[in-house]
Amino acid sequence: MAKDAEKSTWKDTIWNPSTREFCGRTASSWGLILLFYLVFYIFLAGMFCLTMYVMLQTLDDHKPTWQDRLSTPGMMIRPRGDTMEINTHNTESWDMYIKTLDNFLSSYNNSLQAEKNDKCPPDQYFIQADSGDVKNNPKRSCQFNRSLLQECSGLDDHTYGYQAGKPCIIIKLNRVIGMLPGKDGKAPFVTCGAKKEDSDKIGEVAYYPENGAFNLMYYPYYGKKAQVNYSQPLVAIKFLNITLNEDINIECRIISNNIPPGSERDKFAGKVSFKLRINTKQ
Amino acid sequence: MGYGRSDSYRVATSQDKDGKSSPSKKNKKGKDMDELKKEVPITEHKMSIEECCRKFNTDIVQGLTNAKAAEFLIRDGPNCLTPPPTTPEWIKFCRQLFGGFSILLWTGAILCFLAYAIQAATEDEPAGDNLYLGIVLSVVVVVTGCFSYFQEAKSSKIMESFKNMVPQQALVIREGEKMTINAEEVVAGDLVEVKGGDRIPADLRVVSAHGCKVDNSSLTGESEPQSRSPDCTHDNPLETRNVAFFSTNCVEGTARGIVVCTGDRTVMGRIATLTSGLESGKTPIAKEIEHFIHLITGVAVFLGITFFILAVCLGYTWLEAVIFLIGIIVANVPEGLLATVTVCLTLTAKRMAKKNCLVKNLEAVETLGSTSTICSDKTGTLTQNRMTVAHMWFDNQIHEADTTEDQSGASFDKTSASWAALARVAALCNRAVFKAGQDQLPILKRDTAGDASESALLKCIELSCGSVKQIREKNKKVAEIPFNSTNKYQLSVHETEDPNDNRYLLVMKGAPERILDRCTTIIIQGKEQPMDEEMKESFQNAYMELGGLGERVLGFCHLLMPEDQYPKGFAFDCDDVNFTTESLCFVGLMSMIDPPRAAVPDAVGKCRSAGIKVIMVTGDHPITAKAIAKGVGIISEGNETVEDIASHHTGSRSANSLCSLMFPLLSLSDAKACVIHGTDLKELSQDQMDDILRNHTEIVFARTSPQQKLIIVEGCQRLGAIVAVTGDGVNDSPALKKADIGVAMGISGSDVSKQAADMILLDDNFASIVTGVEEGRLIFDNLKKSIAYTLTSNIPEITPFLLFIIVNIPLPLGTITILCIDLGTDMVPAISLAYEAAESDIMKRQPRNPTRDKLVNERLISIAYGQIGMIQALGGFFSYFVILAENGFLPSILVGIRLNWDDRACNDLEDSYGQQWTYEQRKIVEFTCHTAFFVSIVVVQWADVIVCKTRRNSVFQQGMKNKILIFGLFEETALAAFLSYTPGMDVALRMFPLKPSWWFCAVPYSVLIFVYDEIRKLLIRRNPGGKWLSLSLYNI
Repeated sequence: MAKDAEKSTWKDTIWNPSTREFCGRTASSWGLILLFYLVFYIFLAGMFCLTMYVMLQTLDDHKPTWQDRLSTPGMMIRPRGDTMEINTHNTESWDMYIKTLDNFLSSYNNSLQAEKNDKCPPDQYFIQADSGDVKNNPKRSCQFNRSLLQECSGLDDHTYGYQAGKPCIIIKLNRVIGMLPGKDGKAPFVTCGAKKEDSDKIGEVAYYPENGAFNLMYYPYYGKKAQVNYSQPLVAIKFLNITLNEDINIECRIISNNIPPGSERDKFAGKVSFKLRINTKQ
Repeated sequence: MGYGRSDSYRVATSQDKDGKSSPSKKNKKGKDMDELKKEVPITEHKMSIEECCRKFNTDIVQGLTNAKAAEFLIRDGPNCLTPPPTTPEWIKFCRQLFGGFSILLWTGAILCFLAYAIQAATEDEPAGDNLYLGIVLSVVVVVTGCFSYFQEAKSSKIMESFKNMVPQQALVIREGEKMTINAEEVVAGDLVEVKGGDRIPADLRVVSAHGCKVDNSSLTGESEPQSRSPDCTHDNPLETRNVAFFSTNCVEGTARGIVVCTGDRTVMGRIATLTSGLESGKTPIAKEIEHFIHLITGVAVFLGITFFILAVCLGYTWLEAVIFLIGIIVANVPEGLLATVTVCLTLTAKRMAKKNCLVKNLEAVETLGSTSTICSDKTGTLTQNRMTVAHMWFDNQIHEADTTEDQSGASFDKTSASWAALARVAALCNRAVFKAGQDQLPILKRDTAGDASESALLKCIELSCGSVKQIREKNKKVAEIPFNSTNKYQLSVHETEDPNDNRYLLVMKGAPERILDRCTTIIIQGKEQPMDEEMKESFQNAYMELGGLGERVLGFCHLLMPEDQYPKGFAFDCDDVNFTTESLCFVGLMSMIDPPRAAVPDAVGKCRSAGIKVIMVTGDHPITAKAIAKGVGIISEGNETVEDIASHHTGSRSANSLCSLMFPLLSLSDAKACVIHGTDLKELSQDQMDDILRNHTEIVFARTSPQQKLIIVEGCQRLGAIVAVTGDGVNDSPALKKADIGVAMGISGSDVSKQAADMILLDDNFASIVTGVEEGRLIFDNLKKSIAYTLTSNIPEITPFLLFIIVNIPLPLGTITILCIDLGTDMVPAISLAYEAAESDIMKRQPRNPTRDKLVNERLISIAYGQIGMIQALGGFFSYFVILAENGFLPSILVGIRLNWDDRACNDLEDSYGQQWTYEQRKIVEFTCHTAFFVSIVVVQWADVIVCKTRRNSVFQQGMKNKILIFGLFEETALAAFLSYTPGMDVALRMFPLKPSWWFCAVPYSVLIFVYDEIRKLLIRRNPGGKWLSLSLYNI
C-alpha cells in the first residue's frame, strides 16, 4: 500500500497528469523560468561584452601592454624539430627538409624583397618614430635577401648541403616588438657548439651572413599591423665536417650585450638545441 | 514490512499470562530478538518459596552446595552483561573513511587515476594533473576521515570515563556458610543477602526481607524506592514485591533471596541485549548528504555526457573524449566540502559540549535540530530525581513549600504554632540523617542516609527550622517503632525540650487516613481542638487535593503523654506496645514529590514554540506523571485530558477517578491532551496508536515498559517525525537506540543508556536539549549557506575546461589552481558561515520537514550554478582575456589556438601583434592567467560569501557581525596574494605574480553578484511565498 503511493509519487515527479506538472512545475512555470534564464544570460552576455569592449579600448593597436615575458626572445631553427637524422644516400630522409627550407625561404627571394622592401643603411637601427599622435604608418622594412645566406640560400645547392652530408640549418630570432638587440652598435650574433662530450665531433661550422650576425638594421620591429612586410633576419649555419654516423647534440645561442640569458626552464629563450645525426651507411 | 515488525512488538508487550515462556525456554542459549522483545518471563514470583528451591536445587537455609554452584556457573556462564559487540576501531575508522560524502571523493579519485592510466598508456608525456588530483582527493578524504575519527574517539573517551570500574561483590550463602564472592560468580539458585547500599547482584526472588526497599528507577522509572517482601503482590514480575532486579540498588533494610536469573538472562540483561540488537537508522544529515550526492552526481554526469558527445562530434578521439568525460565529472566534485562540513559539525559539537551537550556522533549534531518530537523520560530528566516536600496542610490550609533547586521560590508563613509542632514531629519522627562531613554544602546538595521521603522531610525542616540534629539532641529519643506495612505508621517517643517538663512526647507519622483514625483532636493555630466531622471533611479534601497532584502524602500527629501514667523513666516496650497509640492530636499533612527541574517548564515552552511535540514517557504512575506533566507544561494549563473530561462526565472528581485511566480513550479524541497507561497501550492497535499520536498534541505515557517505549518511538517515526528520546535508565535504552537521536543523562544515566545514546547531557538538564535544538537548527541553516558558497565556485572551475575542449582556447584555469580554491581560499570563508548568527528566531519556526526541506535542493543548485556561478565564471574569463590581450593575444586569435599553443615543438607562435613566443614563454602567460582566474574567483567569492550570509535578509539588515567571516575575507585574500607573489611559487605551484591592475578585473562582477542577490532577496521579501520563490535558495 505504502509502496504503491511511493511509486505513483515517483512517477508524478516527472509527469503529473492531474496538475499537468512536469518535474514538479507546470508548463507556464517552466516557461517563466526559461524566460528568466534567457533574460538573465542575455544581460550577463551584455555585461561581459561591455567589459570586454572597455578593456579592448585600453589596448594599443601596435604594441601590447606587457612584454616582460619576452625579454629574452626565443630562437627557432628551420627545418623544425629537435632531432634530425639524415642519410646521405637516402633522398627521402632529407627531402622534406629541403621542401621546408624552400618553402620557408621563398619569401626571401631577392626579387620579392626588392619589390617590397627597402635597402636600408646597415649596422644601425632602422628607427621610424611616430611624430607625436601622428602615426608614421605603414612602416617600411629592410630587405633580407635570400642570397645573403650564400651556401645555404639554396640558390646554388638545391639540397642545402644535405646530400653532401653538410647540412644547412637556418636560425631565426623570434620577433619582439620594439626590441633593440645589441647596444653600442654591436649586432647580436649566433654561435653554435656541441654539448660537452660532443665538442670535438662538431667540426667546423660556417655562418651566413658573416659571423652569424643579425644586422641591426632589421630592428626594431614595429608589429605586423604597422610593418606589414617585415622580413625577419636569418642566420644559416652549415656543418662542414661534422662527425658522421653519430648523434651530436648541438646548441646555438644568441650572443648580445643586452639580451639577458633566458630562464633554465625555457630551452628556447635565446638559444636552441637539437640533435643531428648524419648517416652515410646504406 | 513495517506492520509485521510492529506487530511482533505488540505481541511482545502483552504479558505472558498463559506462561508462554517456560523455564526451559529461558535456558535456551539462542538469543532470539523476538524472545527479547517479550515481557519479562520471570514466573518464580508466583511460585512458593519451596517450589522455587526445588526448581533451582537449592536449600532455603543452606543455599547451594559449592559443587552445584560451580556446575551452574559452567552451565550459565558468569553473571555479567555481555558487553555490546564493540565495533573494532579499524571498522570505525573505515566508516569515517568510506562513509557518506567520502564516497563521492573516492569515486573522483579513482576516476582521476583511471584517466591518468589511460593517458599514461596512450601518451608519451602524460600531463600529471589527473594523477595529482587523484592523490590530493585521496589525501583530503584520508585527512578528513582521520580528523572526524579522532573527534569521535575523543567523545567516546569521555564516555568511557563514565564507566564504573569497581568490581561488585555479593554476599551468598553456600553450604550454610556466608561468603563474599565476586558478583560475577553468582549463579541461579544461590541464596543471596543484600542490605541497604548494596547493588542487587542478580534477579532475586525475595524469601525474607526486613524493611527492605529497592530503587528501581533505572529499570522502571519509578522515583520512589519500592519495598520488597516475600509475598507475590502482582502478576507482573516488574510490579510484584518479591522480585529484586539485577543492578538496581537496595536503599535500606535487608533481604534474602534466591537468584532466579543471572547475566544476560536478567531483566536488565535482556533490555541491554535488546538495545544492542536494535539497528538505528541513518541520521537526517546523512540522508541529506546522500540526497546532495545524488544531485551533484546527476549534474556531473549530465555535464560529462553532454560534453563527451560534443567532444566526439568535434572530432576528438574516443580516448580523449573519455579523458574529458572523467575530467568534467571530477571537476564537479567539491573537494573542500567534506572538510568544511566536518569542521562545521565539529565546531557546533564543541559549542554544544560547552553547553553540556556531549555529542558522540558528529552527525547527531544536526539531528537535534530536525527533531519534531521529543519523547522525554520523567525521572531525572524533567524532575530533580529527589523527593522534596512540596505542600503542607496545617491550620486547615494548604501551604506551599519551596521546591526549586536554588530555594528561590516563595516561602510560607512559618509563624504559626501549628507549623512549629508539625516541624517538630517531622524532625523527630524521622530516621534520616545527613552523612558526615558535608557542613559546607548547601542543604539540598547534601547526601543523606535513609528513606527518600524521610530525607525530604529532613531537608525541609533543616531548611526552615535550622539544625535537626540539635532538635533531636534536645528531645532525646526514648523509644521507636519503625514503619511497617501492616501498621503503616512510624512512631517514636522523646523527652521534651523543657527540662522541667517530665512528660514524654509521642510523635507519629504515616499514611494520613491511619493517622487520622488514631486522632481525637487537631491543632489549629497552636491550640488543640476536638476533631469534628467538619474538620475531617476538610482533611479529606486536602488529602485528595494533594494526592491529586501526584504527591505522596504523610500525616503527622503527636501526644504529650500524661506524666501520671508515664512517669519519667517509664520503660517503653516497642515490641509489645505498653503505651497508648490512640487519641492523639493531629498536627498536619506534608506531601512530597520529585519536583520538576526549574529550567524545564521554560524549556518545554521553548520546544513548543519551536513546533516540537514533547511527549512524556515514564514508568511512573499516571497521577504523578500527569502532575509533573502539568507542572512542566507538557500538558499545558487549561488543557483538559481525556480522563478529566471523562471525570466531568461522570460528575465525580475524586482521586479514584484519576486512577480509572482505562476509560475508553478514543471516544474522547476532542481532548488535546491525554494520559495513557501502559496497560491501555498494550490493547491499542497500530491505527489507534497512530490516531493518538496524531490527534493529541500533549501526550503522557505512564507505566510503560521498555518495549512499549520502543513502540511509542516507532509510532512517532512512522508518522514521519524525527524523534529525540531522553532518558537515563536502562529501561530507556532500547528507545534511545531506536530514536533518531538518543539523549542520555551524564550524571544519573546508567551505562547502558549512555552506550545506546547519541548524545549525553552532562548536566542532566532537559533545558540543555533546547540549546541543542537551537544549535542543530542553526547548523542546518548555516551548512546550507556553506554549501551554497562552496558549490558556486564549481562553475568558474568547470567552465574553463569546457571552453578549452569546445572552442580550443588555452586552458584558463588549471587543476592546481582549482585545488588552491577548493582546499585553500574557499575553506575559511565556508567554515566562517558556520558562525553566522540566525536571521530570525529559529526557535519560533516549525521543525523542518525532512521530505520537503532539503539541505541542498534543485533551487540551491540552480542559483549557485546557474546564476551566481555564471557571473563568477564571466569574472574569471574576463581576467583571463585581459591578461592574454595585454600580453598580445587578443580574444579573436585565441579560438582554435589550442593545438599550437600546447605544442612543445612550436616555439615561434605568433600573437596578434606579430610577436613570436616560445612554448615556455606563452605557458608562463597561461599560468599567469590561471593565477589571475584564481584571484578573480577569490574576488567574486568575496561577494558570494557576503551574499550567502543571509537567505532572506539584506546584508544591511543582518550586518557584518560575524568576525570569523571578516577574518575569512582577509585570510583568503592574503592567501591568494601569498600564492601569487611568493618567490618560488612559479616553480612550486606554477603561479605567477599578477600586475596590480589584474586584481580589479573581476571587481565589477563581484559588485554585480552583490547587487543581483540583494535584488533577488528584496523580491523574495516583498513577495513572500510568491512567484519569486523559485529564486529562493530555501523553503523557509
